[in-house]
Amino acid sequence: MKQFEETLYDAVNQQFRIDKLYFENKTEHQHLMIFHNAQLGRVMTLDGVVQTTEADEFIYHEMMTHVPVLAHGNAKRVLIIGGGDGGILREACRHNIDHVTQVEIDEAVVDMAKEYLPNHSAGAFDDPRLNLVIDDGMAFVKSCQESFDVIIVDSTDPIGPGEVLFTEDFYAQAKRCLAPEGVMVTQNGVPFFQPDELKNTHERLRQHFTDAGFYCAPIPTYYGGFMSLGWATDNCDLRQVSVDELQGRLGQVGMTCRYYNPEIHVASFALPQYMRQIIGTGR
Amino acid sequence: MADKRPVKIGAPEDEHQLYQDLAQEFGTPLLVYDESVVEQHYRALCDALPAVRMYYAVKALPQEQVIRTIDSLGGGFDVASGGETDLLLKLKVFGRRTIHTHPVKKDEEIRTALRYGVTTFVIDNVYELEKFVSYRSRVGLILRVSFRSPGAIVDLSRKFGCNLSEVPSIVARAGELGIHIKGLSFHVGSQCADASKHVESIEKCSELMLQLNAENDRLMNVLDIGGGFPADYDRRGVVIDTFCAPIREALGKLPAEWDIIAEPGRYLVAAAVTSITSVVGRSVRDGVNWYYLDDGAYGSYSGQIYDHACYPLQVLKEGPLHRSILAGPTCDSIDVVAEDILLPELTAGDLVIGHEMGAYTAATRTRFNSLPDARFLDLASRRIVD
Repeated sequence: MKQFEETLYDAVNQQFRIDKLYFENKTEHQHLMIFHNAQLGRVMTLDGVVQTTEADEFIYHEMMTHVPVLAHGNAKRVLIIGGGDGGILREACRHNIDHVTQVEIDEAVVDMAKEYLPNHSAGAFDDPRLNLVIDDGMAFVKSCQESFDVIIVDSTDPIGPGEVLFTEDFYAQAKRCLAPEGVMVTQNGVPFFQPDELKNTHERLRQHFTDAGFYCAPIPTYYGGFMSLGWATDNCDLRQVSVDELQGRLGQVGMTCRYYNPEIHVASFALPQYMRQIIGTGR
Repeated sequence: MADKRPVKIGAPEDEHQLYQDLAQEFGTPLLVYDESVVEQHYRALCDALPAVRMYYAVKALPQEQVIRTIDSLGGGFDVASGGETDLLLKLKVFGRRTIHTHPVKKDEEIRTALRYGVTTFVIDNVYELEKFVSYRSRVGLILRVSFRSPGAIVDLSRKFGCNLSEVPSIVARAGELGIHIKGLSFHVGSQCADASKHVESIEKCSELMLQLNAENDRLMNVLDIGGGFPADYDRRGVVIDTFCAPIREALGKLPAEWDIIAEPGRYLVAAAVTSITSVVGRSVRDGVNWYYLDDGAYGSYSGQIYDHACYPLQVLKEGPLHRSILAGPTCDSIDVVAEDILLPELTAGDLVIGHEMGAYTAATRTRFNSLPDARFLDLASRRIVD
């Protein structure tokens, strides 16, 4: 019986039993594993770090997608950077959007996820509204001439191929592709264990966006309590949308979710005191 | 300049036949790897030091087949470069079982190791400590201390390691930076005559760790006793249990919850590899027989220069002995394998066998003269695995 031992921290780590190994290889960019665990279903890891599991992916993907899209209220064009497993894409395609571009650096992640994590994309890679681009997210936003209402950055950790997606330069370039009233959200780690990531991202986003902050969701297999999700926009009203308004927008889409609801949406912007202290807005 | 190394003349029939067969089938130069020897040595070392977790020093012989052997035995790995982590990644060894022990690293090197899954790193000064500020939530550091070791063939304390007296200030600085130093390491040098230096180092390190733990709540509880376990180059027989007995006794006095680790390289792999090289040409110069081999000091015998090793030799032929010199295949006159030894008369095609040639041999060879590397042969499967 083989164990997957996550390698994020020296003094603590989580271990998953590998009940069946579907795939393990070093791709062009990273070390990819997909295996089955009796409790979590299929699990995908990159460079020894859990990326997604079938059991809890809905929390992350719903919060990364529905919060910005419903807060915006009229998003027609969505850009996803990373997210090769297809979970964000699946959630985005549930909305009344006209177009979604997804930029993934590692084609092998898409191929393997389609084959071994089919429930993540649930066919969304075949959606006619999708333009899938295999490219470095930084290179894409630098040369991009299009404009998007919502940008979702579903990256790996800052160590590895996702590193560039945490730089100030990337945030500046991404803003060029963002419509004036648009919003960008980013995967930003678990501040309880990775406080520097929260602090650095806050400082970098602040240089380019009027409203640079975070909202939270607890994802069990990204252990350590709340995960922080970056929130960057020049439209300060977007974080203020009321529960009633969100309820109406959700009703128009006509979808049911497993984690997301308008009350959670509004509440997720309340940051625990330790996070406020890390980013220097503690009172 | 007589060469004092053991030289064996002749071989029993079956041994003779084996070397001839391998040379015939695979050509020379060859390095023959016997996995069962690594297994025996690994188990013997674990039995001699039951409280110690073993991390094989990959640098000693970075061959895939060797990594697989250690992996199957449940051992960990000690790496010193991104190339070595890449080798482990290729073989799908979990990073969690690996420690990075090079005291001086580029930032890129740290990031590569972190991506691979290493969270234990070694430092020996404040400049290196500061490189970990960005990674402080992820890593646990080991601080390397140096004890000069005049008795060792290779004194590893000259280049790396801080003085014991510097430890408290480096640990204090780490505390200010929010970086955890989880223990101390030392390297007494390689090929030690006895374990007295290990014992002295264990006592000094543990005394200091206990003292610092009493003053500090970020506890140190890892002691890395390095390597230095000897190979049997002089053919007198190394009894590892006897060698380790004083170390075992010294470790027995430490707190039970401490994590004791070691980085054996030479002891695990030296005896597992045998070199087979052929006489390519001969000459008589000033009354001495010169034999020119197809492997030498720029190849598998590079350890005679870089590692100061002197490998036991064997020729299969028997007969009256003459003063002889064994030279390597390159054009350089430093490329001499044995300076002045007594050998029977050899002719082109005769085999010369080198024993105890697993550690720091193939690892440090060069491509001088664009000569081909010795092929690496797995004895159990009779396959070339280089």
